[in-house]
Amino acid sequence: MVGSALLNILIATSFMAAALLAIVPMPEWATYFRPEWIALAVVYWVIRNPERVGIGVAWIVGIMADALTGSLFGLHALGLALVAWLALRLRLRLRLFGVFRQASVVLVIVGLQLLLSQWLRILFDLPRGTEMTFLAPALTSALFWPLAWMLLDRFVRLLDLN
Amino acid sequence: MTADQRFGYMDHARQALGVAAIPVYWLADTPARISGSLEEVFVSRAELLDENARLREELMLSRQRFQFAESLAVENDRLLALQNASALLEDEVLPAEIVNVSPDPFSRRVLIDKGERDGAFEGQAVLEANGLMGQVVQVMPFSSWVLLITDASHVTPVEVIRNGERALARGSPDGDAELDLEFVIPSQDIEVGDSLISSGMGQVYPKNYPVAEVISVRRSSREPYAAVRARPMAQIRSTRHVMLVLEAAAPDYPVLADETDSVADGESGLASADSAN
Repeated sequence: MVGSALLNILIATSFMAAALLAIVPMPEWATYFRPEWIALAVVYWVIRNPERVGIGVAWIVGIMADALTGSLFGLHALGLALVAWLALRLRLRLRLFGVFRQASVVLVIVGLQLLLSQWLRILFDLPRGTEMTFLAPALTSALFWPLAWMLLDRFVRLLDLN
Repeated sequence: MTADQRFGYMDHARQALGVAAIPVYWLADTPARISGSLEEVFVSRAELLDENARLREELMLSRQRFQFAESLAVENDRLLALQNASALLEDEVLPAEIVNVSPDPFSRRVLIDKGERDGAFEGQAVLEANGLMGQVVQVMPFSSWVLLITDASHVTPVEVIRNGERALARGSPDGDAELDLEFVIPSQDIEVGDSLISSGMGQVYPKNYPVAEVISVRRSSREPYAAVRARPMAQIRSTRHVMLVLEAAAPDYPVLADETDSVADGESGLASADSAN
């Protein structure tokens, strides 16, 4: 098994990288389709290491993301906690699925996160998309899931060898 | 979340985390910075010469316009003095750089590299070379968030240069980075091509800065209000350099009777009219 300190560093680094991807400036049309990178990282680690990354860690990462993006405190935190909870419930099944079937579940999980975020935006009267545009990141998140999975898996395997 | 929105309990936490976030933003900004500096390195001599000539021409035109504007300003001051109104102050500005844009596609905000330590404050007006850009909404020690005038939750009080018609310009909700003028009744005289400047109402923005240009007007007998679209003058999507207005704008209304006697002796009267605000 991977050394615990090393694994913690890898987990922290992956969340850092996800946060970076979440704020990297992009052309305006692309921002509507920006995958929810942090949610993907949460789902991955909940499947892989539920004893390390759970609802609590997801919440804290969410608070960081809120601070980073300057949004209302709790917007990302609640969404990511929901993602972690859903992933925990589905964890055993997700482990058996192939990476493309996982992607379809990720589509639903991220979609629910976005829906929660949209509700909160309406409740607190924050800027929000008109109609269904707010769901676009769910599609791209599912598209990028295989890539994220393989990348993170590669790193975990790499550490395992040592 | 309510604690944050209604009572600002989270301000301290936000400030601390804001400092911690700076290196992350610096990292995220790296690709843009590198491509920018590469462009600077690999620019051809001809392009440089071209740019130089263009800038020189622009400088000359601006100088000429400035000369004209200066004489107008003096004249304006004299006329205002005749009317016992306080003169318009020139605004001091602090240059700042945009380090990131809000990743949230539905909110139009940018992060700038000036914060509380540099004298930024909430409600501060932010300008760009061509016009009004937005206002500071969240101040952290070394950086702050600026809400752009194109945000759907932001309203700028404007007036038409041509005839002084007043209106409210709200950021369009569809993400076009344009402005919708609200509550314009069909009989109001606003046409395509009209220039809009800030009217100074609401005391947030200084008066007389260019805001936008009207690009479409639709009047319909079934609608109570005309649909007016305007495009911001500021290069909101492409610029990296902005200016923070340091001085609060001088009051642009005539000073009231009980203050007029002090206004009579010039400078000191101005100062007292200012402090009264």
